[in-house]
Amino acid sequence: MTAEKGTGGDFEQLAMPLFDSLYNFARWLTRDQSEAEDLVQETFAKALRGFSSFTPGTDFRAWMFRILRNTFLTSRTGLRAKLTQSLEEDEAEGEAVAVTWETPESFALASATRDALQAALDQLPAEYREVVLLCDVEEMKYKDIAEVLSIPIGTVMSRIARARKLLRQSLAGERTGMPASARRLDE
Amino acid sequence: MMNCTEWRDRIEAYVDAELPPSEMAAFRAHIEQCTACAASALALMQSKQAIRRAGNRYTASAELRARISSLAKGQDLAEAKAEPAYVVPERHWAGIERLFSGMWPRWAMAAVALLLIAGGLFLGNRRQESKTLAEFADLHVAALASANPVEVISTDRHTVKPWFQGRIPFTFDLPELQGSPFALLGGRVAYFQQEPAAHLIFRYQRHLISVFIFRDASQIALPTSSIAEQTSSFRLRAWTQGGLRYVVIGDASAGTIQQLADLLRSTQ
Repeated sequence: MTAEKGTGGDFEQLAMPLFDSLYNFARWLTRDQSEAEDLVQETFAKALRGFSSFTPGTDFRAWMFRILRNTFLTSRTGLRAKLTQSLEEDEAEGEAVAVTWETPESFALASATRDALQAALDQLPAEYREVVLLCDVEEMKYKDIAEVLSIPIGTVMSRIARARKLLRQSLAGERTGMPASARRLDE
Repeated sequence: MMNCTEWRDRIEAYVDAELPPSEMAAFRAHIEQCTACAASALALMQSKQAIRRAGNRYTASAELRARISSLAKGQDLAEAKAEPAYVVPERHWAGIERLFSGMWPRWAMAAVALLLIAGGLFLGNRRQESKTLAEFADLHVAALASANPVEVISTDRHTVKPWFQGRIPFTFDLPELQGSPFALLGGRVAYFQQEPAAHLIFRYQRHLISVFIFRDASQIALPTSSIAEQTSSFRLRAWTQGGLRYVVIGDASAGTIQQLADLLRSTQ
């Protein structure tokens, strides 16, 4: 989605269609209704104030999500999540992410119930949860995800692969307990 | 020519629609030959679809929507809070309101609002519709990408129809295709939101078109009227007839999809 620079009217027309997605994303980040509501409100306020700095021709949705996420990171919950961010990433980045997809694990994911999958998403470390939500739920392009999260595209790709792998392991391991690598790290 | 091991690393990019066009074509050619890669791509597509369903979990309150909507208009927040006038999702009828504002008194607007709330679920969610479209598009693409797109291969409707007996909990009729530009390729059983569906694949020139038929279970969120999605390369027609839901989807022109839909509709 692209846009011309402009006034409040333009902003409303561009921003309101994103309201549902932004709220859903905010709930997944904060895990709390009233915090999510505050976060969405602050995001819209900031975006409206900064609308003139939005670069026409770039992706407006990525711009809004970026503001929301940055606002979240400076909130109390966000800071806590950041401080306890997973130390696994370095390992993960170096790890070969090639996956053999037809393993029973991958079917466990494809056939998981909504509830089981939501629980598994909830238990993902925050940096994997957000990337998989942007990719699979919001269906953003890798380059827009990179923009939202302020990370290189290569990191986007490896995080997505790793996030899906953790989800598969978590769902396949449901009966035998969670694998250590998928334990929630921010609590 | 790349081998399987090299493709393995690209399956995720393929499913995320991130492969460059040249590789996209090469990958499609590869999965026609390679069952393992086709199965992997299918499993990953289904996973993605499952994650999308699970990830759409939270809905904002009408009160928050009203507040944010006023904020986005640049109105003062305190004023907006005191006057929660919008109960219906703003984007669905902002245009209508603009059209009527100044012409109608406030109470009449409120009456219209109430009527629209009643119809709101129906009017509702464009977004849900495009998700439904995406789900059918996934089913359509996944079937075509699979090594065995159809389980019963036959161009004869009198073979295909009985095949479904005992496999799905309902029956349906198929149109006579002779003299039409469509050819039936075969069918399979598909599942849409846990509901068994007859999935038929038709050919029109070089396009493949999927038809899904399933019971009209009320818990299934479907576009209640026909929609054409501009943002995707797929066209979809959906309707309900005789207690069954019909969905026609493919990358052919809207006119072609409509023609097949009309043909099916005339049979029932």
